[in-house]
Amino acid sequence: MTARVAVPVFPGTNSEDETVRALQAAGLAAEAVHWSRGGAALRAFDAYVLPGGFAYEDRVRAGAVAAHDELTDAVIEAAQAGKFVLGICNGAQILLEAGLVPGTGPIRRPTAAFAPNRDGGRFMCRHVYVRLAVAPERLPVLGGLAASAVIPMWVSHGDGRLAAAPDELVRLAAGGYVAFVYSDAAGKPVPAPQGSALDCAGLTNAAGTVLAIMPHPERDAWTFMQRDGAAKLRARGATGAMLAPAGGSVFFSAFAQALGSPAAR
Amino acid sequence: MAVLERAFAVALTIPDNEAFTALETLRRLGFALGGVRRADIWTFEVDAAASAALAGTVATIETVFNPNKHDLTERPGARPQAGEVWIAPSDDTAVGSVGRGSIPGVRAVRRRVAWQLLDDTGNSVEPHVLERAVETFLCNPAFQKAIR
Repeated sequence: MTARVAVPVFPGTNSEDETVRALQAAGLAAEAVHWSRGGAALRAFDAYVLPGGFAYEDRVRAGAVAAHDELTDAVIEAAQAGKFVLGICNGAQILLEAGLVPGTGPIRRPTAAFAPNRDGGRFMCRHVYVRLAVAPERLPVLGGLAASAVIPMWVSHGDGRLAAAPDELVRLAAGGYVAFVYSDAAGKPVPAPQGSALDCAGLTNAAGTVLAIMPHPERDAWTFMQRDGAAKLRARGATGAMLAPAGGSVFFSAFAQALGSPAAR
Repeated sequence: MAVLERAFAVALTIPDNEAFTALETLRRLGFALGGVRRADIWTFEVDAAASAALAGTVATIETVFNPNKHDLTERPGARPQAGEVWIAPSDDTAVGSVGRGSIPGVRAVRRRVAWQLLDDTGNSVEPHVLERAVETFLCNPAFQKAIR
């Protein structure tokens, strides 16, 4: 049976459509669930992907208001029951504000944040690669991802710098919470473009069932979105090839595999 | 040369959507509030010799103050007033630039956000209520600090 994935939409979310499409391309039954439907509408789903954007206009702090929203009540409840949850960009900020990631403190008492970029929070948009920094079995939410997998994505944020107290950063590093780090195309580590602590691009919880990742895999999930040329050049003039899954689609395929989607097997 | 620290509050004169959203969220968290006030606090470390001209200069920096929608008030000191908390980055980093260029005599500029919670009568809430709001919502201690 195909897993049902909810993509919660808060006022100000703006990446729900491409996120739903990437999930559907991976074989999942994904749908956007707008805030007006209320938290109860989320409870029937098997998994959740909080998409990017600017929920509640980033008022107070990025992700802070949405983390206390009724929709997030349902996501927290599901995560605590062991359901898989992904957060991308603003969705990642919400997961940290909600305390689901890294989950080392009480719910809604954050111990870490994706804080303003080191140059005063200046927005940046650039193509990056991220590398899986933990053993695949440490991250069941992306089951089946190859060891040290390198995935192309797009950074698009003003608040993507992992920040936490020094002792918390030690705990996160030692406990394998840093699931993805920034790298080059070959997987060689590179400094985080916005100064993220531990060069962290993606942070998980103790069980590896919730993942908060700042760069956008859904913005690099089809051939026409690729920055690097070869596949894109080969696809010129061939609509089908240009619209074929590529690059960041690996991320969603791994999520689908974790959910046991038949199409992903 | 002596250096002075001067603080200016910039508050919206039009409805403050951010304050309203904070009010709604705090009410959802169980706070019995009548209102929330918010202001940007800009503090300037300025050479004493250049201090006299500062207020007039600040009023001309459009990225800080827009007379069409803001009220600009100099604070008597660079500390929160009674009933108020300032939220700042943990390291209280000075901002890189303000406006199009440097301001004569200014050595550092910092931006904080002032929050004041009001009860149904329009008075500041008790300090322990403000403290609970800081802990549960207004401040993320992973990268921010509350100045009281």
